[in-house]
Amino acid sequence: MFVTEWNSSALVKAATKAGKKKNALTPMTFSLLHATDFADRLLYKIIPPLKAGMIVLADRYAFTAFARDAARGVDRQWVRDLYSFAVRPDLCVYFRVTIDVSLDRLLARRVKLKFYEAGMDMGWSTNPTESFRIFQSKVLEEYDRIVPEHSLSVVDATGSITEQQREFRLLVSENLERQPS
Amino acid sequence: MTTPEQSDRGAHGGVTPGHYYGHGLPYHNIDNYPGKIIAIEGTDGVGRSTQIRLLREWLEVQGYGVIETGWTRSQLMQPTITLAKSSNTLNKLTFVLLYACDFADRMEKEIIPALKAGFIVLADRYIFSAIARATVRDVDSQWIRRLYGFAIAPHLVFYLKIEADALARRVLEAGGMEYWESGMDLKLGDDIYDNFRHYQRQLIKAYAAMGDEFGFRIIEGRKSISAIQQELRRQIGEFLEGSDGPRRFSEELDALGAEG
Repeated sequence: MFVTEWNSSALVKAATKAGKKKNALTPMTFSLLHATDFADRLLYKIIPPLKAGMIVLADRYAFTAFARDAARGVDRQWVRDLYSFAVRPDLCVYFRVTIDVSLDRLLARRVKLKFYEAGMDMGWSTNPTESFRIFQSKVLEEYDRIVPEHSLSVVDATGSITEQQREFRLLVSENLERQPS
Repeated sequence: MTTPEQSDRGAHGGVTPGHYYGHGLPYHNIDNYPGKIIAIEGTDGVGRSTQIRLLREWLEVQGYGVIETGWTRSQLMQPTITLAKSSNTLNKLTFVLLYACDFADRMEKEIIPALKAGFIVLADRYIFSAIARATVRDVDSQWIRRLYGFAIAPHLVFYLKIEADALARRVLEAGGMEYWESGMDLKLGDDIYDNFRHYQRQLIKAYAAMGDEFGFRIIEGRKSISAIQQELRRQIGEFLEGSDGPRRFSEELDALGAEG
């Protein structure tokens, strides 16, 4: 088994960091930098373990970009075309929460919402919490399109961790049973 | 004077100059921006930067506002691309995407504001270089064209054409062959001269294949610097006279006088 996380390749870390620090990213450069990061991880971290017959657990995948970039005003079809080099996952699970729940969880974890995470770059609100609410509601709307379009399995993430994990394991084991080993 | 039909003849790709090739940036409406994009394309060492410097002087003397833009000059991406090129971690996909990001940054931060302000943008290479390099590296041709669907079609694209052999001599005289210009990442062998020629030949073929698609105006790159410059000035002069785009400073003053 192999775990890969969104936004973790060394290649584009410098540019992403610099851009985020100076708040210099536009929706398009934000999108392209994350696609570069994804391409780097796909080729170095995802495809080799797949070839070795391992299971790759991806903490976020291209769908995150579909939702987030479109919420920022990048063309939906363009983002989908951009990621056409990606390997289609065997199973994709979407943990769905309401905006209120996700805000509560984020605020409980740390003091401040990050600039891009809250969609502050869009200039919708100077209040981070309010900006997050506006941005995330657009992101959730995008996910509502993506779920049927790409047949994502939905787990209700408002429940307890144990419940979610039970549901998640069930989805994974069903999927693995269906796969020719 | 050129007819409107002639002045509209630019780098189309089926698209009106000054408009997005594809989906574009939906959050940025660029309709009716008065500026113009003039791109000079051509392979490494063909003499683009000299020509652009001379064009800039000529245009500025006439009172046009001019900005220059060129690959890997974006503030955002320049350090990352330099770093990535010096290490060996780039593969064809990340190579293509890093360059696209550089282009997007320059387009939004330099080109679009300049077009809005009625400037002439002199582009030292444009998306066609990126497409040619990707083509040589077997990147899907539909995918790369869709990727650059966010780019704006230039009003004029000049392609400085040269053969790989003539180019090799010119590059050697100017200081030697460089790793990326020689396509060493394609791992065809250790001989840089052979690689350079092979790689540049492939690139030249890729440019040639795009000529009709994007409306290149071809200029013989082996002519003297001044002969090339004259030809560029003649064609650009005709285009600017026939267009309703950027106004010279003196025209701005006249317009102000008429209004006042």
